[in-house]
Amino acid sequence: MTKKKKKQQRASSAPLLLIAAPGILYLLINNYVPMFGVFLAFKDFNYRKGIFGSDWNGLDNFRFLFKTHDAWVMTRNTLLYNLAFIIIGTVAAIFVAVLMYELGQRSRVKFFQSIMLLPNLLSWVVIGFIVYAFLNADTGFINNTVLKALHIEPISWYSTTKPWPFILIVTYLWKYVGVNSIIYMASISGIDKGIFEAAQLDGATKMQQIFRITLPMLKPTIIILTLMAIGRIFYSDFGLFYQVPQQSGRLFEVTQTIDTYVYHGLMELKDIGMSAAAALYQSVVGFLLVLGANALVRKVDRENALF
Amino acid sequence: MKLTKRLLVFAMVAIMAFGAFACKAAEPATTAPAVSGDSAAAPAAEEPKAIEKVVYAYATFNNIPTEETLTTVEEAINAITRDKIGVEVELKPIVIWDYSSTVSLALQGGEQIDVFQSLGDLSTAISTDMCLDITDIIDTCAPESKALIGENWLAACTSGGRLYGLPTFKPIALTQMVVYRQDIADELGIDMSKVNSVSDVTAVLEQVKAAYPDMTPVAAVNQGNLGLSPQNVDYLTDSMYAPKGVLMGDELTVVDYFASPEFANICNLARDWYTKGLVMKDAATTSSTAAELMASGNYFCYIASYSYPEADTAASLEAQCGGFDLGAKTIGSAFLDTSSINALTWMVSSTSEAPEAALKFLNLTFTDPDVTNLIIYGLKDRDYVLSDDGFMSYPEGQDATTVPYTSQLSCGTLGNFFIMYPMAGTNVESLAWELEQNQSAKTSVAMGFTFDNSAVKTEYTAVTNVIEQYLYGLVCGSVDPTTEIPVFLERLADAGMGTIIAEKQAQLDAWAAGK
Repeated sequence: MTKKKKKQQRASSAPLLLIAAPGILYLLINNYVPMFGVFLAFKDFNYRKGIFGSDWNGLDNFRFLFKTHDAWVMTRNTLLYNLAFIIIGTVAAIFVAVLMYELGQRSRVKFFQSIMLLPNLLSWVVIGFIVYAFLNADTGFINNTVLKALHIEPISWYSTTKPWPFILIVTYLWKYVGVNSIIYMASISGIDKGIFEAAQLDGATKMQQIFRITLPMLKPTIIILTLMAIGRIFYSDFGLFYQVPQQSGRLFEVTQTIDTYVYHGLMELKDIGMSAAAALYQSVVGFLLVLGANALVRKVDRENALF
Repeated sequence: MKLTKRLLVFAMVAIMAFGAFACKAAEPATTAPAVSGDSAAAPAAEEPKAIEKVVYAYATFNNIPTEETLTTVEEAINAITRDKIGVEVELKPIVIWDYSSTVSLALQGGEQIDVFQSLGDLSTAISTDMCLDITDIIDTCAPESKALIGENWLAACTSGGRLYGLPTFKPIALTQMVVYRQDIADELGIDMSKVNSVSDVTAVLEQVKAAYPDMTPVAAVNQGNLGLSPQNVDYLTDSMYAPKGVLMGDELTVVDYFASPEFANICNLARDWYTKGLVMKDAATTSSTAAELMASGNYFCYIASYSYPEADTAASLEAQCGGFDLGAKTIGSAFLDTSSINALTWMVSSTSEAPEAALKFLNLTFTDPDVTNLIIYGLKDRDYVLSDDGFMSYPEGQDATTVPYTSQLSCGTLGNFFIMYPMAGTNVESLAWELEQNQSAKTSVAMGFTFDNSAVKTEYTAVTNVIEQYLYGLVCGSVDPTTEIPVFLERLADAGMGTIIAEKQAQLDAWAAGK
């Protein structure tokens, strides 16, 4: 009996597997085969000897990461910014999704959604220059128009560290909130309308509906997306941290992340071993964080754990 | 079933987590080569009849030509080289900004590149075995170039007594100049001939600022560079954008560049200009170059180093700088150190399968005017026209951006500058002046010394990162040197500046003892 059931299941999942095959193949070729490059993290790369022939040098390549207090700064920046993005980004995306859903009329929804999606189509290079147009010390909009009108002394934005966490988060939200809200909107549309109607009949206000129905129903989506985001918490959005601050050295204290640090060091020295080491460090810690986050979720709410 | 599902989910998350890492490592690994250094040395010369193919990778500031155009130029070159040295060439122009990383990735990936150049990073190429030791084959494959360049210059491309490349043969004596708007100077009655040093410039700038309050007198040369480098410094193999231990003066004592009074003077001057509004505020972060800024008409001058006479420098820059009438005034003296010679060095790659053929071809780019001019200007009458007295110009109605092939702006980086056709509008006598400058310029006491940073690589990366963080702001005046320099020095010490200087001194002493 069970055997038959299994066979049936296998038969029904075969077409699905076939659909997934190109994607799996892509992942294998793009993400698994190159993992052999991990060798490089432990080697003193030599062009003549090649990847496998180069001499081993133990953990030497990792030393540079932890050599200065930069290691602390970049790890802190990477983690805190991502944490801020996960929390503020999720809240903002859900907020937008709920508002969109409540708009009701399709044409209005389409209009606002398109407008909110537009920034996502711009590359970071372009956004970097839009920000530059605002913040340029000589000719920027903020210094020349806003601050002038308020009679405040112009600020040299690209050499003042304090406002940058704020600027970066705002820029991030502007670019991503539209696209991130789509998944939540889809989940909200999937909620049975009957539940809302029943609540209305019972006299629930809009607010009560949102907090008692919409948000609890979104919980699985939020957890999965957050877990995914935590898996990448050690990666930074390179364009955001590299292009938007215009690579201003003065701002590194608040804009340097692991990715930009490695990039800076490598463009100067072109040391492939060190870049592989930093990437491995990122991956291993990122992976451990996923396991950790999932373990936490499983403890609190077994139903919603990923595995 | 449930287990399989769980495993799948687990695998997917793992993929997500490792995804970015894998992508980054992908470049060198996917095309993992069977690079074998031993086969490179295999004597290919046994069959002199066989035509060998070499790939010549060079940096270009011009547009990258189409594949068909490249083929036509290659064919014209091959018509010469096939008979002369039994070699066919494939040209590989690479945009200057991507050059170093493209070449290093290509060589890691086993792609064929036989001849390539350094852009100030010869010591890295040597320490990572990127380039081939050509000591033993230069006499048979490139004797003419060896004689042309001379032992003194070749010494700059050696390490441990072995020769690794040929330095570009061109005017190398760079002189600090201020390039300014002649029309404005005339109008305000400024006598630029009285300006003989950087400190003399300040008064001129103040005069311009007073007459044109909306104008910014000084433009940055490029990001983080106002051109205010101190004179007579031997950077000892470091890039001038990230100097570490340097020599100042005639002693063989390595000093910390950033702790020197010269560096403090520059920062103070820049700060003075910045607070008085004499220099652009965003110099530390700008992505515009001096030429673009000057072309906007909003700037009076910039300070940079050139290897041509004043009048030629000004004349050659006018077109890029918006067509304004420009003047140039020397405010420093030329100084030669090892890196002024070996910054642009042509090398044979260690992965080359035909190193002798590659070197023979390289030899022609230094000695054969036909080959050199084909590489730099393309085909005669299609890409350029030649006047009766031997000057090159673009065909009627065309310019550098519209002709099918040109790498004219690379003229100072390819082989031998002195056998290229001069451009119309330049002065032939300048060539003699430039040759003389090469000989008469003040030379560093450590000429010929190259620093090998492999023993202090970790410190190098760390120090470089600290420098990137502080240097631009300091030399552009956007931060206050009195408070920032001490912090900067402390961070440098933490990052291992002392270790680098000690290592440099040790290598320098060993070099001096062996001389």
